[in-house]
Amino acid sequence: MKRLTRIIGIALTAALVSVGVASAASLGLTTGKLGAGSAAVTGCTSSSLTATRNVDNNGNVTQVNVLSVPQACAGQTLAVTLENSGHASLGAGSTVVGACTGGCTVNVTGFGTVAAANLTSYALSLTG
Amino acid sequence: MRRFRLSPLNLVVALLIGSLSFAGVGYAASLGLVSKKLHVWSQTLTKGTCNQTSTTAADTYVRQANPNSVAGGTATTLRIVPTAGSQEYSFITFNLSGCSLPTTGGADSAALSVFVTTAGNDTISLFPVYSSWSESTLNWNGLGGLTIGSTATTTFSGATTGAKTVPVTADVDAAIKAGTLWGWELRATTGTANVVLASSENGNAARRPSMTLSYEK
Repeated sequence: MKRLTRIIGIALTAALVSVGVASAASLGLTTGKLGAGSAAVTGCTSSSLTATRNVDNNGNVTQVNVLSVPQACAGQTLAVTLENSGHASLGAGSTVVGACTGGCTVNVTGFGTVAAANLTSYALSLTG
Repeated sequence: MRRFRLSPLNLVVALLIGSLSFAGVGYAASLGLVSKKLHVWSQTLTKGTCNQTSTTAADTYVRQANPNSVAGGTATTLRIVPTAGSQEYSFITFNLSGCSLPTTGGADSAALSVFVTTAGNDTISLFPVYSSWSESTLNWNGLGGLTIGSTATTTFSGATTGAKTVPVTADVDAAIKAGTLWGWELRATTGTANVVLASSENGNAARRPSMTLSYEK
């Protein structure tokens, strides 16, 4: 009977540990991505920074400029998603914030062909 | 109190739990579940239009043959002449201050329309102007004081009369960010004929320069 209890205990322990590990994976908590977890975070800034974009003569976005990024964010990855009125992604790009004096203007490129007329919001994130 | 005895089975249990816990912690670390610093935000844009007419337009032309005279400002036409020694260039801009656009705004699209009243087989190129000028004072000798882009923004053919509409989105977008639009210099980059455009003082209002502008801010 004691032996049976121990075996059941071992099986339960193994199962619980496995579930925990699998659960972490299921949250999508891979490096550099945001998950649905409840990890407490501290950013290099708590401000909502302002983004602008440049266009070519056809009205397509050529780059996004995020203004006044604090120096403390140097080394972090700034990701920008261009969204339409339904908040669907029109294109995305990212770059590592470089070192600078004071506030940096960070330029992000590589969005493909996105008409500025369809762009109604930016979704931005900084990850360290 | 019951004494714990290190039997082979207990040892196996302890090793198994220890191994699994170690693997779990290691896997979590590999997923980057260390103290990530995150900041997420969004920014919603406001769209609008601010079309320009002769009311906000300023235009003139300068003459190489009369370098000190001010030809435009009140003239009803704008001239473009490619003849060496007698070249004439036209200038057009719009005052966008009524649009109340911040320098963080931008143009989604902008298109300039002009009307060719006298056709000539020229390619008319628009070069962006980056410094201030006035239709009431600009003359040929004043060109040296202007900063003008070396690359044409766009071109149109002057070979036929009628309305010509060209995209100027990139220039207007840059001007909004700079705070002021200084417009364009129009000159012939191919051809030998004289081309005449209607100015903002033209008697036919439908022929005056205009610009459609869709913006975001």
